[in-house]
Amino acid sequence: CVVGDRVIDVGSEWRTFSNEKALKDPSRVGDAQNPLLNGGDLTTMISKGTGAASFDEFGNSKYQNRRTMSSSDRAMLNAFKEISTMADRINLPRNIVDRTNNLFKQVYEQKSLKGRANDAIASACLYIACRQEGVPRTFKEICAVSRISKKEIGRCFKLILKALETSVDLITTGDFMSRFCSNLGLPKQVQMAATFIARKAVELDLVPGRSPISVAAAAIYMASQASAEKKTQKEIGDIAGVADVTIRQSYRLIYPRAAELFPPDFKFDTPVDKLPQL
Amino acid sequence: MDQNNSIPAFQGLVASPQGAMTPGMPLFSPMMPYGSGLTPQPVQNTNSLSILEEQQRQQQAQQQQQQAQQQAQQASSGTSGQTPQLFHSQAVGGSTTTALPGNTPLFTTPLTPMTPITPATPSSETSGIVPQLQNIVSTVNLGCKLDLKTIALRARNAEYNPKRFAAVIMRIREPRTTALIFSSGKMVCTGAKSEEQSRLAARKYARVVQKLGFPAKFLDFKIQNMVGSCDVKFPIRLEGLVLTHQQFSSYEPELFPGLIYRMIKPRIVLLIFVSGKVVLTGAKVRGEIYDAFENIYPILKGFRKTT
Repeated sequence: CVVGDRVIDVGSEWRTFSNEKALKDPSRVGDAQNPLLNGGDLTTMISKGTGAASFDEFGNSKYQNRRTMSSSDRAMLNAFKEISTMADRINLPRNIVDRTNNLFKQVYEQKSLKGRANDAIASACLYIACRQEGVPRTFKEICAVSRISKKEIGRCFKLILKALETSVDLITTGDFMSRFCSNLGLPKQVQMAATFIARKAVELDLVPGRSPISVAAAAIYMASQASAEKKTQKEIGDIAGVADVTIRQSYRLIYPRAAELFPPDFKFDTPVDKLPQL
Repeated sequence: MDQNNSIPAFQGLVASPQGAMTPGMPLFSPMMPYGSGLTPQPVQNTNSLSILEEQQRQQQAQQQQQQAQQQAQQASSGTSGQTPQLFHSQAVGGSTTTALPGNTPLFTTPLTPMTPITPATPSSETSGIVPQLQNIVSTVNLGCKLDLKTIALRARNAEYNPKRFAAVIMRIREPRTTALIFSSGKMVCTGAKSEEQSRLAARKYARVVQKLGFPAKFLDFKIQNMVGSCDVKFPIRLEGLVLTHQQFSSYEPELFPGLIYRMIKPRIVLLIFVSGKVVLTGAKVRGEIYDAFENIYPILKGFRKTT
């Protein structure tokens, strides 16, 4: 006869108190890595210990070899780490980082860009992810957090779009306004005015063939010069990654019709006719 | 007679276009890869009117078969299909005449049948603009090993920096070209404005090398690349073009101010600028440049800036 069956308690091993808001979930065994990206390896890694007991007599740490079991994806893990570092430098949110990781995984598995430096692919994936999330970063901004040149990132970008058979939306002047203006410390009114100016300038086709970044920079210059918070071309050029002569060129194109470009409800600190003429 | 109706199972259609009865007339079909050099069909020597009827029947039969093949191809190729406009008629420019013994009237045939998905652009309307060739790159094998040092020392207008580049760079004034001469005996000639000039220049370089004492020959002269440019004379909305022709276009103002359009057939890369200037490159023969421009011109007209 059966004395008792199902005597093994399969509940959580530790006593969990419902009111204790523990950071970790004690019933979980193992780290919460997302298996989607790593291809599901069930390896155990022994990390470097903390505390005195983890070091032996000579000061070397016990369990030195933290062997990477997932050698096949070591490069991918490395790239993810690099992507995370880059994204952290410009404070990108988790969703962009996740998208970047996914893109990198797709490109890596496809192997069509295998010869290219992984860092270059990672930077290009980061660029594409920002674009796809609707918050594009300029190539120069990605360059600033990566060791890869703009030329190489641009090349990898085009190759990845071809490999993954996707496309991205064209950049517009408005995509960069909030970022540039807040970095310059401009108030919301000026930012809105600059957005309006840039959009109007493009609609009226005053700046054919000019990069949207340059047009945005020129619009910010015009808006800030008309307000109390005047910024120099050099400052704007530094933030936007545009040369100040380029801002000057685009400004010269929009200056003749400045009066029409400002939003109707704008409060001028400097009237339109007193705007600097370069 | 049945030969004309037979169509091979694989990608190409050996279509006999209307009136290609004259021997030596190359056959074109939208389906065949460019410049495939199809063999002309033999001349038919039957009576007059029946030939006309036959031609019409053949046309219809081929149209149907082309359509069927088109659809089959479309289904299999999925998203990477070519845009309809690219199936613009590749045919010989418009009028082929049948000169038959007897009383058949001469008639100008319409162009090769367009696929049903093509929006009907009146193909008789040419742009009237001819792209000008700007650069031809060609290679030739001189057929013997060369000592670059002696060439560099004895020839005029030659520079040789082995640490920088492993070839002698030689220039001549007429035609104004530059040649890279390698120690294997192979040579690259760039800068000529026409095919004949490129060949002439390559011969001149070969003669220079020959006069220096090497047994130079002139083997395998081949034109590798041709670049042409032209102006459509109106500004273009590149943003619109990149939206509709996403599969072929790449427009990144941060990287390059022009739109890079990779046409599939003929395989030509076009750089299209806002001002209306167009640069065409990647051609092996002059006709590819002209065809590519004829293909792109109606598309560009559709994206003309109205202001």
